[in-house]
Amino acid sequence: MIERVSKFLDEKLSTPMAKMAEQRHLRAVRDGIISTLPLIIVGSLFLIIAFFPFPEGTAIKTWLGDNAATILLPYRMTMYIMSLYAAWGIGYSLARSYKLDGVTGGILAAAAFLLTIVPESIEELGIVMPMGNLGGGGMFIAILMSIFAVEVLRFTTTKNFRITMPEQVPPSVARSFEALTPAAIIILTIGTITYYLNFDWHGVIGKLVSPLISASDTLPSAIFLMTLIGFFWSFGIHGMSIVGTVARPLWLALLDNNSAAVAAGQAVPHIFPEQFFQAYVMIGGSGATIGLAILLALRAKSQYGKMLGKTSIVPAIFNINEPIIFGAPIVLNPVLIIPFLLTPIINIIIAWAATASGLVPKLYIAAPWVLPTPIFAFMASGGSWQAAVLGIVLIIVSILIYAPFFRVYDNNLLREELGDEAQKA
Amino acid sequence: MKILFVCSQGMSSAIAVNALKKEAEKDGTDIEVLAVSTQQFEEEVKNGYDAAMVAPQVRHRFEYLKEFADAANVPCELIQPQAYSPLGGPKLLKQVKDIIGNK
Repeated sequence: MIERVSKFLDEKLSTPMAKMAEQRHLRAVRDGIISTLPLIIVGSLFLIIAFFPFPEGTAIKTWLGDNAATILLPYRMTMYIMSLYAAWGIGYSLARSYKLDGVTGGILAAAAFLLTIVPESIEELGIVMPMGNLGGGGMFIAILMSIFAVEVLRFTTTKNFRITMPEQVPPSVARSFEALTPAAIIILTIGTITYYLNFDWHGVIGKLVSPLISASDTLPSAIFLMTLIGFFWSFGIHGMSIVGTVARPLWLALLDNNSAAVAAGQAVPHIFPEQFFQAYVMIGGSGATIGLAILLALRAKSQYGKMLGKTSIVPAIFNINEPIIFGAPIVLNPVLIIPFLLTPIINIIIAWAATASGLVPKLYIAAPWVLPTPIFAFMASGGSWQAAVLGIVLIIVSILIYAPFFRVYDNNLLREELGDEAQKA
Repeated sequence: MKILFVCSQGMSSAIAVNALKKEAEKDGTDIEVLAVSTQQFEEEVKNGYDAAMVAPQVRHRFEYLKEFADAANVPCELIQPQAYSPLGGPKLLKQVKDIIGNK
C-alpha cells in the first residue's frame, strides 16, 4: 500500500514538478543568480566587519562606527548591486541554453537591465546612476530584462534578421556585428519606455512583487517551503535545488532589505531570508538530519548503522547529507521520513519565536552554507552569540525528535543482521 | 578508466567518488574520477571521459545532462540510489564497470 502511494506521488507529483523546475528560463535564472553568490558572500563580510558587536563605547567600536561608510564600499559595489551581476549571469546562461553566444547574451541582458535605471545629472559629480534599484529589490526586473534581451537575440538569430559578415571576417568581429540588430531593438524598446514614456519600471513592478516578498516572510510560507523541500528529498530528488530556483529571488530580496537596513543604521525588517533556513533549519542538511547523524555515530548498535554514522558525521557537520539520505536511506523510508519532515517544522517554529521575540537578532549576512551551524548562525547574525546558542539548541531538538525513529530503524537493522548471522550459522 | 561524476554542486558526489576510489584500489583497478556541478558538467564532459555518472538527486536533470554526454560520445547513466552513499562503493564500482564493459 505504502509503496503504491509513494510510486503514485513520485510519478504524478514530485517528478513532474522537478522537471518543471528544469524549464529553460527557470534554469537560466537559477544558474545566473547562483553565479553571483561568491560576490554576495564576500561582499556581505564587510557588513560583519563594520557592525561587529564589540561592546559599545570601546575604542574599536567607536572607530568602526566612524568609518563604517568607508568600510562598506566594497559591499556597495558587490552585494548591494547584485541584480546587475545577476542580469549578466542570467543572460549568459539563457543564451548558452539556446546555443547562442553567451557573452553577447550577458552583455545585452546587462544593458537591458541598466536601461530601466534613469541617470541623473548632479552638479559636482557629473552624470550619476542611482544604485538603489540595482540590488535585490531590482532582481525581478533583472530577470525580466535578461529574458527579454536573450529572446530578442534568439529571434534575430533564428529569423536571420541581422547583419552577417563574409567568412573572411574574424569570428570575434563578426560576432559584434551580428549583435547589432538585437542591441538596437533592445535599446530602442527599453530606452523609449523608460526615458521617453517615463515608465517607472521599479515602482510598478516593485509594487506587483512586494506582496510576494512579504508573503515569503511569513511563518506559513517558511513551513510550506521547507516541507516541500522535504517532500522532494523523500523521493530522492534534490529539493533545495528545485524550491530554491523559485524562492531564491524572493529570499535575496529579503536578505538585501535586511543588509541595506543594517548599512543604513535602521531596524532589520525580515525574519525569513534564506540564511534563516541555513542557520536554524537545514542543520546537517535538508531535514535537519544532524540529529540522525549524531545518533548514528554515537548510539548505533547495528554494524551498518555504525559504519554509516562514522562515514557520514563529518559531511553532516558541514551540512551535506546525501550520504545519509541515500545511505540510511531516508528516501522512501516510512520510518525516517516522519522526523525528516517534522524536525524542520519544529525548528522553524522555535527559531521564529526566538527571532520574533527579539531573543536572537534577525539575519543579514550571506555566510557560506557549508559552515557548521553555530558558526554559520554567529556569522549570519553579524556576530551574535545568542544566534549561535539557538543553533546548538536546535541541534539538540533534532536529536530528540529523531531519537525514537532512529531506535526503530537501528533495531530493524540489528534484527536483519542477527538474522543473517543465524542463517549463516 | 576516467569517470566524471555530477551532482548539484559537486560536493556530495565527491563523497561517492571517494568510496569508488577506495573500492577500485582494493580491486586493483586504475581509475581517475572527478566530481563537478551540473553547470560545470556541460564543458567538462568533453574532456575524454569513459563514463559520466549522474547523482540520483538530480535525476530530473538527467535528460538535459545526457544530451551533452551524448554529444561528446560519453556513455551516461544515473547512479543507483543504493550505490550513492559512503558504503555504496562496491555497487558503484560494479555499475561503472558494467557501463564501460557495454561500450
